[in-house]
Amino acid sequence: MVLLWLLLIPLVAGPLAFFLRKRPAMEATNVAAFAVVLALAAALVAQVLRSGPVSYWDGFLYADALSSLIVLLTAFVALACSIYAVGYFRHDEQNTVFVEAEDVLGEVAAYKLRKYYSLTPLFVFSMLLVALANNLGVLWVAIEGTTLASVFLVTFYGRETSLEAAWKYAIIGGVGLSMALFGTILTYYAAHQIMGTDTLAGLNWSVLVVNAAQLDKPTMRLAFILILLGFGTKAGIAPMHTWKPDAYSEAPVPVAAMLAAGVLNCALYGLVRFYILTSKSLGPQFASQLLIVFGLLSMGVAVPFVLVQRSFRRLLAYSSIDHCGIMVLALGFGGPLGVLGMFLHMTFHAVTKPLLFFCAGNIQQHLNTDLFRKAKGGLIHSMPWSGAAFLMGTLAVTGSPPFSLFQSEFTILRGAFGGGYVFTSILFVVFLVAIFTGFLVHIANLVLGPDPGLPNGETCRWKKYSVLSLALVIIVMGFWIPAPLYRLIQGAAGIVMSAQ
Amino acid sequence: MSFVHDPQFGDRMITLMAALVLVLQIAMVGQRWLITNIRMFALQSFLLAAIAGTIAFFNHSNHIYIAAVLTFVVKTLVLPILLERIVARVGIQQEIEPLINVPLSVLISGGLTLVGYIVAESFYHPEETSAPAALGHNTLAIAIALFLIGFFMMLNRRKALTQVLGLLSMENGLFLAAISLTYGMPLVVEIGIFFDVLVAAMVLGILVYRIGETFDSMDVSKLRRLRG
Repeated sequence: MVLLWLLLIPLVAGPLAFFLRKRPAMEATNVAAFAVVLALAAALVAQVLRSGPVSYWDGFLYADALSSLIVLLTAFVALACSIYAVGYFRHDEQNTVFVEAEDVLGEVAAYKLRKYYSLTPLFVFSMLLVALANNLGVLWVAIEGTTLASVFLVTFYGRETSLEAAWKYAIIGGVGLSMALFGTILTYYAAHQIMGTDTLAGLNWSVLVVNAAQLDKPTMRLAFILILLGFGTKAGIAPMHTWKPDAYSEAPVPVAAMLAAGVLNCALYGLVRFYILTSKSLGPQFASQLLIVFGLLSMGVAVPFVLVQRSFRRLLAYSSIDHCGIMVLALGFGGPLGVLGMFLHMTFHAVTKPLLFFCAGNIQQHLNTDLFRKAKGGLIHSMPWSGAAFLMGTLAVTGSPPFSLFQSEFTILRGAFGGGYVFTSILFVVFLVAIFTGFLVHIANLVLGPDPGLPNGETCRWKKYSVLSLALVIIVMGFWIPAPLYRLIQGAAGIVMSAQ
Repeated sequence: MSFVHDPQFGDRMITLMAALVLVLQIAMVGQRWLITNIRMFALQSFLLAAIAGTIAFFNHSNHIYIAAVLTFVVKTLVLPILLERIVARVGIQQEIEPLINVPLSVLISGGLTLVGYIVAESFYHPEETSAPAALGHNTLAIAIALFLIGFFMMLNRRKALTQVLGLLSMENGLFLAAISLTYGMPLVVEIGIFFDVLVAAMVLGILVYRIGETFDSMDVSKLRRLRG
């Protein structure tokens, strides 16, 4: 039942917000719905940890440790973003950011807010469906759904550049996902050969994984390549990453944060599900090599763009490409440490990235620009909390101790050396150091320095406290992971390990 | 009328129609008028629906009938009407300007068809008796060719709307692949895919419309302000 409610609540909250129209009511609907979703996600995690996988409707919906981890992370990110969104959009509205010249009555503003508050729950619904669908075809439909629900969130501000970003996002995503659909069809073909005409269960992951060793090898090889390209596009693996900086910098901050910390996980989740099937059919070697190549490429591509970046919103996008590369690489390294490191990294990244986006959003709204050139530095004087949190988040996301991403990167590195990938590990470290340097220099220049004499920028309580509470979570997680969460991550890693 | 029930007759009909689908795809690569392109897409989708209908008839399979009807309604009627409306509203009917000239484009499409046959070869196991694979060989090759040529069309064209058409014809290729390999996907998935395609086309259509209004052109090579 938990599974059904998890999906129904955001599905109802979207249209509800659409009909409520009034801003406070829409804000309340979103925050309340996502709070309930997070509570349900926690309940699901408890149930999975207590008594194993949960399924519903003859296995149409299915949740094991892997899917409930994704559900938990998605729910957390959605709640954080919806709380931040309240302050963010109020600020936009007061400063008439999205009010066009002829809009005297504020109708455009009201329309845009309504669009945001009714599409976001549908966006979250698709992400949750990705994690909960047992059928791999439905999983594909849901991932496509995340694109469709978010295209008009990317065009939110209606600028020329946001149209351009949305166009790239929709078209590149569409081509990528059509490759993923081809991969899914081929997987179904492989399954069809061994299971005959049992049509609906024929694409159910929980059924496929039992028979995965018998799947036709040439078919699965082609299928995995297509899936990697397809879901890789959605996750933003290089060289299919080009939509990412545009979409992340043009979308409103809460949407960008959900793309970076939510959709990324969902796309990787789809990849992991197929990786398990492919590894069981072909042995881990084939998939691992591909993953290592694409992972390293993504990290490598991110390096120069981080070093010479001009805008701090785009900087975050390249950081997300880098982290996506790290996770793919970790999966490629395999072994107990590599896989555990991947899921730890996914968890810590999903907690840290929204903080960076929120700080960047606060700063952007304060300065009315996202270019380093126009920001004169010294932000710590006018925005002590956001500035400090941005600096701290930068240290955290680039993997410096004592923050938790250091632990996950260290785990991955131990796994890599243990697996004998010496050269790859050295490159991995070089890329990490380069990104650390570039990122830190940019953000330090932005935040530190003499006082440029700007007015106090931390007047909105919603924006301030959402940053502070996330920062607190990150500090705590650096020293202490709740035992159930760690057990859940271990469970997810165990599911992947069963394939190796 | 006994030949109508002969499975061999059905196979030949399917191969014939699949070949026509491929011809239409290559004609779309060569065609320069937007409206004609949209109508060709509609005709191609109609043939796909007919293929699905034929397969359903010979296998007495209800869920393929549903897929056939959905293809007909969504891709032959709704999408082309939608796309033509956008063309009319944006008011741009000028020729499509391909990056590579037409004869060379057609030649490349021929090459891609060859690639389709080579890839499909690896799925062809005549010694196995599993029915879908036996049907699959020609149709699967054409499906892969459609997918590749659609992708080529997207790279080759600069108009936003023709890129949408390319994407849709890639999706047609996937539908043909699914139906020739496994007699279609499970029904829930099939309906989900149709829903997604419909919504995606509407979303892209609205984007095309707004790009046309904002930039006074549907030329996506003008979208180049975001860099680095």
